[in-house]
Amino acid sequence: MIRRLGPAAALLAVTVACFTAAPALSQGNLNLGVTMLTYLAIAQAWNMLAGYSGQVSLGASAFVATGGYATGLMLAHTGLSWPLAFAGAAIAATALAVLLSVPLLRLRGDYFAIGTLAISIALQSLISNWPWAGGASGLVLPVGGLPSGGKLFQVAVIVAAAATAVTLYTRQSGFGLRLAAIRDNEAAAAGLGVSVYRHRLAALLVSSAITGLAGAVVAFQFVVVSPDGIASVNWSLNAVLMTIVGGAGTVIGPVIGVLIVYYGLTWELQNQQTFSQILEGLLLIAVVRFAPRGVWPLLCASVRRVSDFRRTGAQEPAGEAPVTEDELSKDLV
Amino acid sequence: MNLATLAAGILTGGLYALIGLGISIVFGVLGMMNLAHGEFVIGGAYLASLLVIGAGWDPLAVLPLAMIAVALIAYPLQRYLLTPLLRASKTAPLVATFGLLLLAEALFQAAFGSHPKSLPAPYAAAGISVFGIRVQAVYLIAFALTVVLCAATHLLLTRSRAGTAVRAAAADPETAAILGINVGRVYAMTLAGAAALAAAGGVMTGVAQSFTPTSGLPLLLTGFAVMALAGIGTVGGVLLAGVTLGVLQSVAVALFGGGWSDVVVYLAFFLVLAIRPQGLFRRGATA
Repeated sequence: MIRRLGPAAALLAVTVACFTAAPALSQGNLNLGVTMLTYLAIAQAWNMLAGYSGQVSLGASAFVATGGYATGLMLAHTGLSWPLAFAGAAIAATALAVLLSVPLLRLRGDYFAIGTLAISIALQSLISNWPWAGGASGLVLPVGGLPSGGKLFQVAVIVAAAATAVTLYTRQSGFGLRLAAIRDNEAAAAGLGVSVYRHRLAALLVSSAITGLAGAVVAFQFVVVSPDGIASVNWSLNAVLMTIVGGAGTVIGPVIGVLIVYYGLTWELQNQQTFSQILEGLLLIAVVRFAPRGVWPLLCASVRRVSDFRRTGAQEPAGEAPVTEDELSKDLV
Repeated sequence: MNLATLAAGILTGGLYALIGLGISIVFGVLGMMNLAHGEFVIGGAYLASLLVIGAGWDPLAVLPLAMIAVALIAYPLQRYLLTPLLRASKTAPLVATFGLLLLAEALFQAAFGSHPKSLPAPYAAAGISVFGIRVQAVYLIAFALTVVLCAATHLLLTRSRAGTAVRAAAADPETAAILGINVGRVYAMTLAGAAALAAAGGVMTGVAQSFTPTSGLPLLLTGFAVMALAGIGTVGGVLLAGVTLGVLQSVAVALFGGGWSDVVVYLAFFLVLAIRPQGLFRRGATA
């Protein structure tokens, strides 16, 4: 029971702490926090889709863009309040996922990856040709009606917490086990009575809704939605990069990934973008080659090896590793 | 819309086919989606620019050198990085080639800057008349080159010992290895060959258009679109698919305006992928 509820309680505690700390943070820190929480939400959503259900997507940016543009269009053209526009982002992203699920769920493995990549690029060029959404130069949101500062940070905390909670639920529930079964051996899972289509669809819809919400946060933060910004493929690429570096198919992995990739490589090296991208590329190759499960499971394994007996309730996150290693298929990155 | 639009589409399609051919061969033989293919294309263009812009050579004279250079880069990548990953898992090579994409983009940026470059040639902007239709000379040359390279690839794969080894390794790597084929080397040669084709496409793209360090990704997607249309395993299908895509694109531009060319390509790509994953020009499923 403690094993099941411990991580959830920890997540709740961290969320409440971040939520109440918001007024005390400086504007610069809030801004950094919002960016990292957004990345975390997108990475967790991708983690659920790729890490647990085995559907490697290269199209997260399509849902970031849909969420962001839905929010932006509602605020700019209808004068609704931002919470409604925020909810609209999740609805729009889910609707897109429902629409795309018809062709997408016919695809598997690399075909799914390439299909999602094609969608995101097609959407980006569609938006560029859509005058009502501002065309190639994008759409500016009415600044007055947007959450900013501490309030925006709190919104970002909620989105990231929801994303992490979904991953945690997936990890601990029968639903997640069935997803993993489909990921590891679709025919066997179907033979045991798991509805492959329904489970893959559920993972896709939930993941898309969260990514759409993250897109709304991006729109609030940037104040402008444009094809080159919010619809950029970089969102998809970063989701993959962060999750795989940290550890796909684990709850903590994406957190570590965001810290390493965004805080370590992007933020700290923001004046040397080229150098930072070289490091990102090398890191990704090195992780896939030498630590295919990611940094977090590697860390857990080495901690366990050093002190097998010291693993107590206080180091609960380390308890994630044994289950993960059994669950995570060799087929997964 | 007129015959000139159609001709321009067909000829541009040749270039697409050249870029798609390498992707298609690598996927067909290795079962690997190579996300770094666009970087081989742009890498060919950048390496050629060293001699074309730096020493005033003709791009067509540099083309074989660029092909060899990029192939030499690709060979060890497959031999020592990607093939071991391919044996470990199915998604690892996809992620690793994505890492290569990031790395290559950054290296191009560091070495050549982010300004658009192009390869100057006397035939770059010249037009010539073929059967009374005016076309851009560079696209005509590129199309001819594509046909030659496609034919060469087809002959190499079907009529040579090396090609037989490649097809054996594609059909059943384990059995091929037992029969004495060095599958690791065949895989590396396959990627090197695909990279050489990509570099050839890159040099011609560089003459026809300008390119930047980030041009690789759209070219990669065009290549994937060609592969999706063609299906795996037919060199002729790739040529046909490239031409289809080129015509589709130039018709879309003529009807709706320049901004729609990419939309059409990616939507066509996605629809074909979703409806007929085995490709338009192929019977029987491989997906």
